[in-house]
Amino acid sequence: MTSLLNIQQLSITLQGKVILSKLELSLKQGEILGLVGASGCGKTTLLNAIAGFNQLSGGKILLDGNVLNDGIFSLPAEQRQVGMIFQDYALFPHLTVKENIAFGIAKLTKTEQSERISKLLNILKLSEYRDSYIHQLSGGQQQRVAIARALAPQPKLLLLDEPFSNIDARLRNELMVEIRQLLKQFNTTAIFVTHNKDEVFTFADKMAVMAQGQLLQLDAPNVICQQPNSYQVADFLQLGSWLPCEIDKAGANSLLGKLNVTLTAANELAGLTYLLVKPQYLKLMSTFDENTDTTTNAQVEYISMTEQGYHYHLKSLDSKANDNKLSFSKLSLYSDVALQMNQQVCVEVIPHDFLFFSSKPA
Amino acid sequence: MVPVLVMLVGGISASTNLFAHLWQTVLPTYLGNTLKLAFLVVLLSLIFGVISAAIISQTNIAFKKYLRWLLLLPLAMPAYLVAYLYTDLFDYAGPVQRSLRAWFGWQSPADYWFFDIRTLPGAALMLALVLFPYIYMLTRGAFEQQDQSLNRASRLLGLTARQTFFKVSLPLARPAIAVAASLVLMETLADFATVQYFAVNTLTTAIYDTWLGYGDLGAANALASVLMLLVLFVVVAEQKSRAGLRHQSSRPNLEQALIQLSFSQQLLAGTFCWSLVILGFILPLSLLIAMAVEYSDVNQLTILLSTGLNSLKISVVAATVAVIIALSLGFYQRLHGDKYKQLPLQISGFGYAIPGTVLAMAMLSTLGPLDHWLNDGVVMLGFSPPGLILSGSLFAIIFALVVRFAAIANGTIVSGIKQIPHSLDYAPASLGVSFSRSLFKVHLPILSPAILVAWLLVFVEAMKELPAVLLLRPFNFETLSSQIYQLISDEMLEQGALGAILIVVFGLLPIVLLNQSKEKV
Repeated sequence: MTSLLNIQQLSITLQGKVILSKLELSLKQGEILGLVGASGCGKTTLLNAIAGFNQLSGGKILLDGNVLNDGIFSLPAEQRQVGMIFQDYALFPHLTVKENIAFGIAKLTKTEQSERISKLLNILKLSEYRDSYIHQLSGGQQQRVAIARALAPQPKLLLLDEPFSNIDARLRNELMVEIRQLLKQFNTTAIFVTHNKDEVFTFADKMAVMAQGQLLQLDAPNVICQQPNSYQVADFLQLGSWLPCEIDKAGANSLLGKLNVTLTAANELAGLTYLLVKPQYLKLMSTFDENTDTTTNAQVEYISMTEQGYHYHLKSLDSKANDNKLSFSKLSLYSDVALQMNQQVCVEVIPHDFLFFSSKPA
Repeated sequence: MVPVLVMLVGGISASTNLFAHLWQTVLPTYLGNTLKLAFLVVLLSLIFGVISAAIISQTNIAFKKYLRWLLLLPLAMPAYLVAYLYTDLFDYAGPVQRSLRAWFGWQSPADYWFFDIRTLPGAALMLALVLFPYIYMLTRGAFEQQDQSLNRASRLLGLTARQTFFKVSLPLARPAIAVAASLVLMETLADFATVQYFAVNTLTTAIYDTWLGYGDLGAANALASVLMLLVLFVVVAEQKSRAGLRHQSSRPNLEQALIQLSFSQQLLAGTFCWSLVILGFILPLSLLIAMAVEYSDVNQLTILLSTGLNSLKISVVAATVAVIIALSLGFYQRLHGDKYKQLPLQISGFGYAIPGTVLAMAMLSTLGPLDHWLNDGVVMLGFSPPGLILSGSLFAIIFALVVRFAAIANGTIVSGIKQIPHSLDYAPASLGVSFSRSLFKVHLPILSPAILVAWLLVFVEAMKELPAVLLLRPFNFETLSSQIYQLISDEMLEQGALGAILIVVFGLLPIVLLNQSKEKV
């Protein structure tokens, strides 16, 4: 299947600042893409460029084979057949629910309009509010009106700009599931922007991680989490904590001991690298006991409680601090064992398919 | 407030016979003229104001940066000055018609048609030329305060920028436009000098004539009451519209122009805006300056100095009193959490809506009897009568000015007080400082910019106020505005051109001030 949305070498400069540089992105019909990235990385600019609110300084945007924008030609926003759900919904306060939904389909006949409106109101459980004004609705209801309004003209692509950030946490999940089902039902292609990776898992088929105006990785969410392609991606998604290692032919040396790595990896990653330690791969072996004189390799730096037990930040032992190249801090350990501040412990990295990254962007 | 009630009561009680008489004779004409004038002024101001606001906020018109504030300037021009200057310019004996006659060889008015400016539509045009900035200012503000995502949503739903303007921006600006229109309406109802000069009989001129011409207080009161009722309608309408002013956003719509104008549209829009600026401000001011240069002499300067000092005196006192009252009301509201806390402020806010003529009548009918009682009382105590110490002195003028402009001071100071977080009320107490002390140590210093602005605004308005001063001033007491009015009536503005320029310059002060504080936000 060919892609519906195709973005090539997209660059945008606003007020002398490069916001997007040579960004590539394509999306198939019916796919929902979750776009994550720190604030200021260019997520909203990308949406605005697709919608037609920003001038490009280079590159091309194609939708369903038609050029939306190629740096010289720019199709006006109203002709793009791109829908958008705004962070604050941007519903028209002077119109009723029904009139808001009808806003974009004025060209249809009256009967077609009312048919489509009724259908949307039904699906979105808004029928009894059809003649209400926006300020009479709750936040969740307003959100649904925004969705109905955006879907009414049957756009080829729907953009959602942090649509769930104004919804209270308890309702959010329910609403996300509901809207996802709806988009699937209409086979709508959508891009939604968020800074919360959990929303991507609930809502999207694909995930794109953005930083400094570029796409770092684009794949299914679980693939990205298993195989992040860079230190930045893993760090932004907070997939685990970092343990400095020095790799040579014999393996990876760390302050937690020697780890066995394959020879090819050893060749590729020679020198100082960082091991991504996911929570499930760090295990508490023993705690310091004066009587048994156990060897220890870390000490407790910070303690917090979670529903699943204790969450500790560990740092390397003070006695090893002079070997500062490999010393670590904020290494996450989850355990049911109660530990004291500064208590010395022995932990071990369980062998698995290790993920090493050099910290600098590739 | 009390004086207005007394006047209404006086007007109604005096009326039965008198009112019937007035109704049979002049009242229908006066009322009709007033309504016609009000309708025309509002219509013209809407055309001028809404279109210019739309052009400035929604298109890529050239010189937008300058037009933005230039369009506010006509507000500084008193309508009666513009009226006089244009009459001078376009009259039969004026330079325009003279040169037309010279060019085409016409001999008499029978040879050609030329519009007569001294008519009701002419007066409406004069008023609209200087009042439209109210509508321009508030409508432009409304357009720019609209959330830009509303516009974007409309574009993505398939509407062009133009369609979006008519289907989204304009309907959303309706409440602001209604508020602005009612401000224009109030100013029109209060206008006295323009219609008087154009010999258009409206309620305000009738009040003036009945009192000063025929000395008939009862009839004047009755007329003033009718005018007051009209104003009441406007005030209610205004309050209702204000309730609709809530579609504002934290993300103002200040991005680049939405509607791209073609060259001819650019030309048309530019001509429209620049004509307004030129006709409403630049041309009249140039005429005044030309007059001042040609006719100024030492004699004029001394008169200017003495009348200017009089104006200064009453304006300074009025501004100071108004600010002190506003401060006490503001802090009263802050301290007392009961549900009537808004009341004193709302009532005093009503004062601005009262036309100067009506207010003057109210003062006369209240303070006059009070003076009599006072005199009687003093005489009974065995002293010689002190005379009309209330109604015949500066007290009446200042009192009237304070009542009329209290709303301006209140608005500025209350919004200033609102910006002081409530925690600052409590912090001094937690540090062992009493509230009255913290008022002087904390609140007043924080408020000082607001106090200054409030003072200046009232000061300037008091300098410009004409009808109330005209009716209430003691014998032989001239202020800048009353003197200019006299000169205009005698067709001798040349001698007061300097003073007129001074009034315009004073009028510019609040515009500059308000514009600055707005741009900062």
